[in-house]
Amino acid sequence: MSRSGLAREGARSLDVQIRHRIGALALDVRFELRAPWTVSFGPSGSGKSTILRVVAGLLRPDSGRVVWRGGPDGSLDAAVNALVIADSETKMWVPAHARKIPFAPQAACLFPHKTIFENVLYGMAGGGNEMRAMLSLFRIAELADQYPAELSGGELQRVNLARAVAATTENGLLLLDEPFTGLDLGLRSEMVEDLLRWACERGLCVLSVTHDVAEAFQLGAEVIKLKDGRVANQGPVEEVLREERTRLLAQLGC
Amino acid sequence: MDTQALWLTLRLALTTTALLMVVGLPLAWWIASGTGMRRALMQAVVALPLVLPPTVLGFYLLVALGPLTSVGRMVIRVVGHPLAFSFAGLVVGSVLYSLPFAVQPLVAGFRGVDARLLEVAATLGASPWRRFWTITLPLARASVVAAAVLTFTHTVGEFGVVLMLGGNIPGATRTLSIALYDQVEGFNYAAANRTAGVLLVFSLMTLMVVYWRGVERRSMLE
Repeated sequence: MSRSGLAREGARSLDVQIRHRIGALALDVRFELRAPWTVSFGPSGSGKSTILRVVAGLLRPDSGRVVWRGGPDGSLDAAVNALVIADSETKMWVPAHARKIPFAPQAACLFPHKTIFENVLYGMAGGGNEMRAMLSLFRIAELADQYPAELSGGELQRVNLARAVAATTENGLLLLDEPFTGLDLGLRSEMVEDLLRWACERGLCVLSVTHDVAEAFQLGAEVIKLKDGRVANQGPVEEVLREERTRLLAQLGC
Repeated sequence: MDTQALWLTLRLALTTTALLMVVGLPLAWWIASGTGMRRALMQAVVALPLVLPPTVLGFYLLVALGPLTSVGRMVIRVVGHPLAFSFAGLVVGSVLYSLPFAVQPLVAGFRGVDARLLEVAATLGASPWRRFWTITLPLARASVVAAAVLTFTHTVGEFGVVLMLGGNIPGATRTLSIALYDQVEGFNYAAANRTAGVLLVFSLMTLMVVYWRGVERRSMLE
């Protein structure tokens, strides 16, 4: 990573503090994101997706505060650039479209009436070169003129990712809900590497959700482990998911 | 065949449909975009012409648009003449009378659009305005067509409101359904037969457009 990239990384952070009741889940989390890529890990129902929805601006929590420092213009002065996007105390709530934090949902919700090209283009700021880069990064260039109904599950998932990634701004945030589900292992490894490189080059801050131990290790990311709506642990993947890794290897007979 | 009445009917139906699309789209979008007392009340008011005898609506409009009420007096001052017994008065009556036929299909269509698509569009930076034009409206296209065609045909077949509010003035308020009534009153059954036939065939054809489009859309999604 370049020197300026490192400097930017130091300047960026996402502070999240959420209390929210939804069904049987009582979510009460507080964490800070600084790493370029953070994985929120936990069983289903632990509140991973709810956190993403709150940060994206799709779900207003009972109470909480979300602050993003080091916004899209890449300014190094974090204090000046702090952007409160939600605060229940001051009744502050920036709507999703004004936050413009691209979010790839778990089920690939592609616009059925638009071609793959138009889907990826929908939230994009850049020009033709960037579009070509997106289509090749996600191996969907040959699908550009097709409609979502004509695609397979894995292809849909790739377009879903491409659409969110294409909408990111330099030094911006990106939210991915189980991004690599439905991709075969070979393709997944390739895409994890490509996406990591891309996120690094653009200085992105990525928060993704998974319940897959192997994926968390593959990403080599910072991990936030969630349990019953609370942060059980946060740190490097080797530390936080050591137990899970041992269990997985034992199951595989290694 | 009373061609003057035919053209007047078509002009009335087209004007009403155009106005109701302008009024109905935002109204239906507002109703479909949430729940609560205010929306329930608005939906009930919109649906009222479905259950009310058209003569009741016509009577109220006749009084409201006449010189007896302040609204009516204001209209007379602005337009220069009472709206009752004029083409403009018929348009006002028709818009109210056909309101449910425009709004209800639109509400159903807008509610049928997957909310997750709108959420994704929002996170991609699309404002509510852009989401409506690029996602909601194109995906509810079949409902928009249905709303327009139903409004049009319903206005063509309108009788009670026109009779109360417009009377029977050739070229201004004498629509096909009034002409038919007139022909029967005068025992001119041959003319009445032709007028009724025109209305029947016309209504059948436009309804076929609605259902035929519906089939085409389903097969496209398969």
